[in-house]
Amino acid sequence: MLKFLKQVSDYTKEAVQAAKYIGQGLSVTFDHMQRRPITVQYPYEKLIPSERFRGRIHFEFDKCIACEVCVRVCPINLPVVDWEFNKETKKKKLNHYSIDFGVCIFCGNCVEYCPTNCLSMTEEYELSTYDRHELNYDNVALGRLPYKVTQDPMVTPLRELGYLPQGVLEPHDLPAGSRRAGKLPEEILEEMEASKS
Amino acid sequence: MNPGIDLQGSFIQILTDFGLSAGAAKVLWLPLPMLLMLISATVGVLVTTWLERKISAAAQQRIGPEFAGPLGTLIPVADGLKLLVKEDIIPAKADPWLFTLGPTLVVVPVFLSYLIVPFGQNLLVTDLSIGIFLWIALSSIAPIGLLMSGYASNNKYALLGGLRAAAQSISYELPLALSVLAVVMMSNSLSTVDIVNQQAGYGILGWNVWRQPLGFLIFWIAALAECERLPFDLPEAEEELVAGYQTEYAGMKFALFYLGSYVNLVLSALLFAVLYLGGWSFPIPVEAIAAWLNISETTPWLQVVTGTLGIVMTVFKAYLLVFLAILLRWTVPRVRIDQLLDLGWKFLLPVSLVNLLLTAALKLAFPVAFGG
Repeated sequence: MLKFLKQVSDYTKEAVQAAKYIGQGLSVTFDHMQRRPITVQYPYEKLIPSERFRGRIHFEFDKCIACEVCVRVCPINLPVVDWEFNKETKKKKLNHYSIDFGVCIFCGNCVEYCPTNCLSMTEEYELSTYDRHELNYDNVALGRLPYKVTQDPMVTPLRELGYLPQGVLEPHDLPAGSRRAGKLPEEILEEMEASKS
Repeated sequence: MNPGIDLQGSFIQILTDFGLSAGAAKVLWLPLPMLLMLISATVGVLVTTWLERKISAAAQQRIGPEFAGPLGTLIPVADGLKLLVKEDIIPAKADPWLFTLGPTLVVVPVFLSYLIVPFGQNLLVTDLSIGIFLWIALSSIAPIGLLMSGYASNNKYALLGGLRAAAQSISYELPLALSVLAVVMMSNSLSTVDIVNQQAGYGILGWNVWRQPLGFLIFWIAALAECERLPFDLPEAEEELVAGYQTEYAGMKFALFYLGSYVNLVLSALLFAVLYLGGWSFPIPVEAIAAWLNISETTPWLQVVTGTLGIVMTVFKAYLLVFLAILLRWTVPRVRIDQLLDLGWKFLLPVSLVNLLLTAALKLAFPVAFGG
């Protein structure tokens, strides 16, 4: 009899506990309802890409020495370097340079290894086209600089999570002049130099 | 008790004054409340789908529909129109008759159940003396339709979904009926109007929630299971069964299923409000306020206000419950089929039986508080 009663009381306790947990869960979801949506409404609002963002590759034609290092370090030998040897100056002359961004994986190896720094990463990521051949950028298209999100009057720029003040998880309605958590890289550098001297 | 506004009586009175026979006047009256109920049920579904999207979005810190009409209110209309003009596909090896009959059999009983939902003393289609019983009887037709459409689709997912739907409906019908029975026992009537009137008088304190704390929980869980809403949406569990019995459906037939499930949700919420939350009654009894303000109960404008307040209160309570159902959807994970049946047969059924016996005992012990 006592054992049965204990079973009943245990069962009731378990049921009450389950109900308590569901109640806790409900309070969590209810609490979420009064938070501001973190939605970035894309064409009107855009996140500011971080400084290490690996977007479309920028190419400076005049700096290129046609060494083809970019082709060698590329996982799929993607960049097409069209050059001819100029016998008078005994130098390679670059005719055309192109990268097909339909195939590029944006690994950044070419940028890393380019001896003259003529390749660089931009923050452009809006590459959609109706025809995949349009993604094959020639040296003119590669030389264009993307329009900055922060300078576009049609777009509200929003900061990414790592660039928000401490404790803030949401980029909307930030007070003006609020800075990211921790020190900026240039501040760290300054401190290091100050401590050195 | 003051009868309040009697629209039917006045309508028939006016027509008989014009020289029609009482019978003809009644025939003219009959389609009006039915049509009104049909339209309001459909509009209720549109509102519920919009709420579902918006509340889901809010619970997940999204915005939800925003550009279709103000606050995205035209989204349900867009949904409906899209489904209306979509191609109606019957799979090649499906049974066309059962396949077509299935969704109809799911939707019609749900709409039929709106017959007994009261929005006021005389604001319902019919005050049946077996109202609640009719609802329970009608709600057990739906699983036949689900099973039928699942079987006729000639698809393994649809068949499994249909079987699950049938198993689930049958196992949760019992605790649902038993918890309703406890309420019925307290109000000595199966009629929805009597059940509400029995709760009236003490305002919010007189509602059945306080007298049936177990009953209303069981009813709500069972009602969610009957509506196949999360956490009990196993028949449509998309991770396991694609969409269950709806898998092969498209266009208007799918829309019927969709409509049926949401109408059922609103209906359950309405009946929950009627059974446990005092139906159309205001938290503070309107009669008491009127007496306190020295206004006679038969004042015409007061009666109009009372009637409107009744409709508003019923709908408000129902939508509060719909809100709770949607919030639950994003809180509770889906149960497994064995857990579902365990919960139904091993927990809800005995608990609801105990609840029924307890109510009976309390009714014998304290006939004043528990409806002698």
